[in-house]
Amino acid sequence: MLDLHYNQPQKPVSKELEATFIKELEENQNIVHKICRLYTNDQDAHNDLFQEVTIQLWKAYPKFRGDAKFSTWMYRVALNTAITLYRKSKRTVTTQAFETVEFKIEDKTEHDESAEQIALLYTAIKQLNDIEKALVFLYLEDKNYKEISETLGISEVNARVKMNRVKTKLTNLINP
Amino acid sequence: MDQLEQLKKQWTTSGSTYPKYSAGQLTGFIAKRSSSIVKWLFYIALMEFVLFGLLSVFMHDSESQQHAQEVTGNVFYYGSFVLHYVVLVVFIYFFYSNYQNISAAQPTRSLMKNILKTRRTMKWYIWYNLGYIMVFTVAFSILMLMNDPSITEMTEKMHVKNMTTFNLAFIGISMVMAALICGVFYLVYSLIYGILLRRLHKNYEELKKMEV
Repeated sequence: MLDLHYNQPQKPVSKELEATFIKELEENQNIVHKICRLYTNDQDAHNDLFQEVTIQLWKAYPKFRGDAKFSTWMYRVALNTAITLYRKSKRTVTTQAFETVEFKIEDKTEHDESAEQIALLYTAIKQLNDIEKALVFLYLEDKNYKEISETLGISEVNARVKMNRVKTKLTNLINP
Repeated sequence: MDQLEQLKKQWTTSGSTYPKYSAGQLTGFIAKRSSSIVKWLFYIALMEFVLFGLLSVFMHDSESQQHAQEVTGNVFYYGSFVLHYVVLVVFIYFFYSNYQNISAAQPTRSLMKNILKTRRTMKWYIWYNLGYIMVFTVAFSILMLMNDPSITEMTEKMHVKNMTTFNLAFIGISMVMAALICGVFYLVYSLIYGILLRRLHKNYEELKKMEV
């Protein structure tokens, strides 16, 4: 009989493993939320994707060796889920009010104009395709090109070239 | 791009604007069922194995097939049956080993590659089955023309004068019918996989484009 749950541990999972996993996930859940917000447009879809990422993380966890940081490993699984594994029919980008608000609040008093620009930029990022979004996300997370290229499975040079193109694309999007 | 650098600065501090799930909630999540495309691919593959498996049992087991067995002879009849199941087992093996290679923790591009490889195995499986139906039907109709007494009766009743034309027409009609069945199958599968993998294909192409 074929195994329905790929990467599922063979032995019954111990409670300790589950507890460690949940603790790590709880501490690092912001990473997943950031990805969910970037790839979905409403709260329902956000929660849905978050759940799927959690399931995929848990499935892959028994093979997580600990030679990489939990968060680094998490980027990969979460992005893969958002880009490749997750399936939802309505995921096209439309402008969404709540994220524009989110970055405006930060610098309300002095830098109204720059805050507005940043909000505009975020809206522009949401219009990028799945792969470009992943690049920008990793860039914003301050990952170097080596890590970016390893996560996406492309060469470092190409990651760099593509990121420069995405920057130009974003500039054009916010200054039409 | 200045704005991007500014956003980067804010990015790390914007944590408080995101929802926060408790450990209890997260534990609840891992008990939920996945709805990933890999799971769907697995279910579809399972359906394909069952469907074509049953189809071949049906092709070899119906009552009229006893007659077919007499007409075609045991070697052709059982030979095709055994061959078909050997191929089926080989395909299940390939599918399973491809499926095992799919892991969410690998780099995006190889994950996509592995998923597409699994899909390709199933594509070949479908082509094999459709080819099998075609070959079986044509071979069967030729053997029928050669060995079936009811065909001789029929041609006598119809006062067929030109046997070559009759034979060709007979084989032609059976080929068209087999091709029609294959066509319908092919359309259904293209549709199912097309819908399921459209986004993955698009993203894979995007990644490939970057490597040029």
